[in-house]
Amino acid sequence: MNNKLLYLTKISLNKKMKTKWFLVANIILAVVIIGLINIDNIIKFFGGDFDNNINILVIDNTNEVYDSFSNIYNEYSKQLSTNTTLVKYTKTYEEAKEEIKDKDDLILVINNDNINYLNANITANTYINPTTTQLISYSLDSIKNNLVINKYNLSPNIVKDLNNTPTLTKTILDTDSTNDTNMDIVMNVIFPIIILPFFMLTMFLVQMIGAEINEEKTTKSMEIIISNVSPKTHFFSKLIAGNTFVLSQGLLLIIYLVLGLILRTTLSGELIDPNSTSFVTEMYNNIKDTGFLDKLSYIIPISLILMLITFVAYSLVAAILASMTTNIEDFQQVQTPIIVVSLLGYYLSIMASMFNGSIFIKVLSYIPFLSALLIPSLLSLGQIGLVDVIISIVLLLLTIHLLFKYGLKIYKQGILNYSSTNLWKKMFKAMKEK
Amino acid sequence: MLKVKNVTKYYGDLCAVNDLNFEVKEGEIFGLLGLNGAGKTTTFRMIMGLLDDYTGEITLNGKKIDYTMTDKIGFLTEERSLILKLTVKDQIEYYGVLKGMDELTIEKKLDYWLKRFDIEEYKSKKIKELSKGNQQKIQFISSIIHEPKLLILDEPFSGLDPVNVELFKEVILELKEKGTIIIFSSHRMEHVELFCEKLLILVKGKTVLSGYLKDIKDNYKKKNIIIEGSIDKDKIKSLDGVINVTKNELQYKVELEDKKYIPKVFKAISNSDNITKFYVEDATLNEIFISIVGESYEQ
Repeated sequence: MNNKLLYLTKISLNKKMKTKWFLVANIILAVVIIGLINIDNIIKFFGGDFDNNINILVIDNTNEVYDSFSNIYNEYSKQLSTNTTLVKYTKTYEEAKEEIKDKDDLILVINNDNINYLNANITANTYINPTTTQLISYSLDSIKNNLVINKYNLSPNIVKDLNNTPTLTKTILDTDSTNDTNMDIVMNVIFPIIILPFFMLTMFLVQMIGAEINEEKTTKSMEIIISNVSPKTHFFSKLIAGNTFVLSQGLLLIIYLVLGLILRTTLSGELIDPNSTSFVTEMYNNIKDTGFLDKLSYIIPISLILMLITFVAYSLVAAILASMTTNIEDFQQVQTPIIVVSLLGYYLSIMASMFNGSIFIKVLSYIPFLSALLIPSLLSLGQIGLVDVIISIVLLLLTIHLLFKYGLKIYKQGILNYSSTNLWKKMFKAMKEK
Repeated sequence: MLKVKNVTKYYGDLCAVNDLNFEVKEGEIFGLLGLNGAGKTTTFRMIMGLLDDYTGEITLNGKKIDYTMTDKIGFLTEERSLILKLTVKDQIEYYGVLKGMDELTIEKKLDYWLKRFDIEEYKSKKIKELSKGNQQKIQFISSIIHEPKLLILDEPFSGLDPVNVELFKEVILELKEKGTIIIFSSHRMEHVELFCEKLLILVKGKTVLSGYLKDIKDNYKKKNIIIEGSIDKDKIKSLDGVINVTKNELQYKVELEDKKYIPKVFKAISNSDNITKFYVEDATLNEIFISIVGESYEQ
């Protein structure tokens, strides 16, 4: 019987994985994942500028302030990562206009001014970034200060006193009020590496099991199969095949991720380019700045354990519901509650930081099917502890036990049922049978 | 021997099969007949072990049928039970392995049967690419590839042209000669008459007729007289015991209530000078079936 179980599992997996659609879907996934990780390199390869670097052509009509202006501006620019570069321009304004045609570059003309010492004009084709304008303004102010200091021959001490900025510190009384940072962590780290893949794989799992069972029912091949293997063997073969499939698909996603990172390192010479604004750098910065790396070392294993157990629970529900339906269209309708629950978990996990660790969100995180989606977010936000995770796992295992116990009875009755009338009545009746 | 003894099966309050009894020996072909919903599929499912919540006993060679015995049973379902996206080879291999065969043996036997049914070129084709008749051939091969001791054939000739019907008949008779127990179900009574020594007719789950075909026909009172030549149709129709007189291009068919009325008909046509044929035949199984089932429904 074990051979038949393995053979049924193999057939199910082959039907899913030895198809051109599986290949096409994985090629698309690989391209998307590897492409997203290397998006800055790809844009650069095609002649674009991912960081959107803007040249500022500076026409210094004073013939004396460019160097000072450049030093001050670059210092400010570095602190704010503005991606602008000053270029000393010696040709005419008209020629400069020609040069920035069809570009985002700017022209800065600095002139002497009898009243204000300096005046300047910024020219752009379409848009001038306010931050850039402010930086130029601050830099010109500094230059002007220097000119005044030189003109009146002020002593260094007076200059120092003038330049000293009053100290401004921040105090936030509510120490838990860290929503923005937490939201960043969830959106930039937990969402792409845990929640999104899990949600996607869950949908794959439910669809695969539902389609498989209904295909066998629709073609009546179920009659032949069940006359040779017990419903229990068939049930387990579907569960094993479904879970093996999502685990393989999950593994492939990890492989695409690793390939993407290897390619990134090869192309850029380093994994994290501090000057890049790509999401990989942002994710890295988030993890580094918030000390989140330590948390990941236990969040990822816990999430993986929860995911594996939740996959089993979802596959059980999918198989039981699929056994009661007569075709894939019926299954699409019956699976709606599964999708709604998954979506609920999906959105709650994204918005987890807004609940500030309330009892409500804690209780939701105990609920099987939701827990695998919510717990990674809540753990990363520090809103739940290990005890809560253990409670969730115990409840999940209990649910799986009940699903096995009663689900198998429903499955036995359901797989040879070809009528969709009194569906729920039949299910409850089957559950009561010994 | 397949033995079905006092088998009763309920679906809720509905009695699908009521006290069913029959036996089929090795090398016998048994006809299980009935209208749609008569209980045939339920009976097949019980024999196959798909249903176990029934009363009574079903045994094959003295042993209750369970999953240790299903490798010895072949089942050709009325509807196509093939997975359309699989190739012919994969499909036969799938069902063959479920019957406990190894893949090498399956392939050897598949090659033999594909050649026998003249469809060798379809081995690597997907089931969905085959015609209805060729799909039926594949389904038939899948039910016999493991050389079953018991073979259940539910509408085996569905979708076949006359040439392939002959081919199927040949194979079924070969299996019978080899000692296979065959249960045959069809709505085409001429097919049943061709094969079955024994039969049973179910109406609403209840047995209304069972026994050897020859005995059933002999004991059936109604007879037909076939006449070739000129007769007075209305005169014959007005005779006692004549149910109906019909005419095709060459012959008249006189349906009688009982064989005792044969001499009267003979006497009535004896004055005609151009009678070239006069013979008495048993009622066809189709007539017996319609008569029995009709009466049972009226009751």
